[in-house]
Amino acid sequence: MSRPLVLASVALLALAGLAPIVWMLMRLESGDVSGIFDARTLTLLGRTSWIGAGAAGIAFVLGLPFGFLVARTDIPGARTLRHAGLVPMLVPPVLLSMTWSVVFTELRGPTAIILVLGISTFPLVAVFSARAFERIDARREEAALLVGGLRSVLAMELPLVLPAAASAACLAFVLAINDFAVPDYMTSIGSKVNVYADEVFASWQSVHSPGKAVAAALPLLVLTLVVLLPALALRRRGSLATWDGDFRRPGALALGSWRWPLFALAFALVAFAAALPIGRLVWEAGGGARGWNFAGFQAAFARAIEVGRADLQRSLLYASSAALISLVPGLVLGHALQRSRASAWLEPLVLAPLAVPAILFGIGYIALWNHPATTTMYSSGFLVVLLFLGRFACFPIFAGAGATATFDPHLEEAARLAHAGPARRLVSIVRPALQSSLFGGAALVFIFGMRELDAAILVPAANGTAMFRVYNAIHFGRDDFVAALALLIVFFILLPGILWSAFGRERWEVAA
Amino acid sequence: MSATPIVRIEAAQVMLGGRLVLGPLELEIVRGEHLLVVGPSGCGKTTLLRAIAGLQKLESGRIWIDGALASEERHLRVPPERRKVAMLFQGGALWPHMNARETLSFVLRARRMPSAQRPARIAELLALVELTGLEQRKPGALSGGEAQRLALARALAMDPQILLLDEPLGPLDAELRESLITRLAELQERLNLTTVHVTHDPREVQRLATRTLTLKAGVAVEGAP
Repeated sequence: MSRPLVLASVALLALAGLAPIVWMLMRLESGDVSGIFDARTLTLLGRTSWIGAGAAGIAFVLGLPFGFLVARTDIPGARTLRHAGLVPMLVPPVLLSMTWSVVFTELRGPTAIILVLGISTFPLVAVFSARAFERIDARREEAALLVGGLRSVLAMELPLVLPAAASAACLAFVLAINDFAVPDYMTSIGSKVNVYADEVFASWQSVHSPGKAVAAALPLLVLTLVVLLPALALRRRGSLATWDGDFRRPGALALGSWRWPLFALAFALVAFAAALPIGRLVWEAGGGARGWNFAGFQAAFARAIEVGRADLQRSLLYASSAALISLVPGLVLGHALQRSRASAWLEPLVLAPLAVPAILFGIGYIALWNHPATTTMYSSGFLVVLLFLGRFACFPIFAGAGATATFDPHLEEAARLAHAGPARRLVSIVRPALQSSLFGGAALVFIFGMRELDAAILVPAANGTAMFRVYNAIHFGRDDFVAALALLIVFFILLPGILWSAFGRERWEVAA
Repeated sequence: MSATPIVRIEAAQVMLGGRLVLGPLELEIVRGEHLLVVGPSGCGKTTLLRAIAGLQKLESGRIWIDGALASEERHLRVPPERRKVAMLFQGGALWPHMNARETLSFVLRARRMPSAQRPARIAELLALVELTGLEQRKPGALSGGEAQRLALARALAMDPQILLLDEPLGPLDAELRESLITRLAELQERLNLTTVHVTHDPREVQRLATRTLTLKAGVAVEGAP
């Protein structure tokens, strides 16, 4: 392990992800925390928890079987369904809200919020579950198959897969409780449903006190940690599924007479969660209720490109820069997480920027960088890149750690005996085996950067992104323009999303 | 030993990745026989076991098990779990999250043995493979020989008519190999098992064999049918 590289990566992580959190915590004064657990706070916290739990429950119930069906069975078009099933996670949740609320006009209130956030995060559980199902050695599975067929296979494998699925559901919970755009949009008509992220935002808007904002966010932070700590423990337990180096990839399980009915269920889920929102956007872009026509569709796109070109360019630049830079800590810290004794303290640090409420993270960036000495930096796009990097670097780092776990350490030891230094071993021996996972993790940085709103909404430089423009236009813009711009964002988000699926698949072929 | 074939393979061929890896093969295995299958790496030994177990579909040909048509061309007429076949995999293929007792209990439960009868049967199986006292150990806490004996107990828990052994001695040292060979010989005689035993080194298990089948490039060169 290269100590200088590890230190440099930790420094980058500290600057981008940890400094705003530490800065905010340092602003906390004893007077700020008084009354943070009053009746109003507890009501908000309870409501937010219910929404998070509901969304995580839906994500789990849909994601686990979907992951199994598309990754491990012989349902028709499994690979296509697997890719298409990622779409709800890649589309910004507020766009899902926008489309479903016009298709199902009665869909409003807390139930609608839970449904949207659950559908938006179910692919996370599906991806984790699919990976865990694929990590079970073919011979272990065949031994169960001989015992009692598919029923025994599932009974044997579920305990191995549940930790991964449950840890993904915990992440779904965290994403759901930190989202404020979906609750805001889904209750913009009818009675307003406030969630905790609104409270933190409102607290900052009213008094602009970092200490009070931290204090207001503390209950949400505690809730997030309460959920993420078991998720980390579950992630470690999930490593049972990757057992030894003599791994044999399992084949597709035959479903027999259940093949077509289960295909229909998986297809219906993809149609509802992915095709319906995108189809609705296409319909809206072409004129919608006024009558769809291709000329209108083209005109909407022309206008979206004309008005939103600079925003799209900035979004692409910021998100892709953050994704590219994240490859370095992904490789170095991902490897260190798996091989170093420091993993016990490194793991929580890596996860901290994602664990902190998004809105608080954004406030931390303002509090840290909004000073005369850093004015240029504060108003530049570099701050947005840093924000995306800091908040989402955990994805390539954990992807790198996961891939390192399946990488035979003897290969590194052989290179060491051949006098290759730590940095050289990392770059020449480890990197080729990890790079597909790292690109997958970096693709997630790109995707979440492109759809980021919750933390970036407060940072002035991030107000010039395409997602910010869509969020504003949802309330005040023309439907066809909003739909066309949303489709452009979705298109750019989906592109690396498909690559992620391809890279992720390749990773297991390498590991096998 | 009865002369009734418990396994009959007729013109069986298996393709993997567009390549013919087994067959055409004609083979009969009679009840109580210990058939040794030998041959160089990649000659189709494991594929033959997997085809008998129903874990591998045929490209063409048929396999009968205990008089029933089990595989016919690319169709599995009898699913693996109903063939009364157990398999000892290379490396054991034990379930990493289950201890010895849970492993055997899982099999017995799947075979619908009443829960009241399970503890006694588990104790009996563990005694049979000399693992009494190690009920709570998971595979990671077992030695190579113990793990392989637990895998054998798991196979026997299925009350199989046919036991398929896929190089079960491979990862063991000489002493453990000898111990497991002795154990297999005792069990074969006591339970009158039909055994198909794949190995790349026939010398050490020759004394178990009633017949030897040599495969080369997927085709029987001696010993069949």
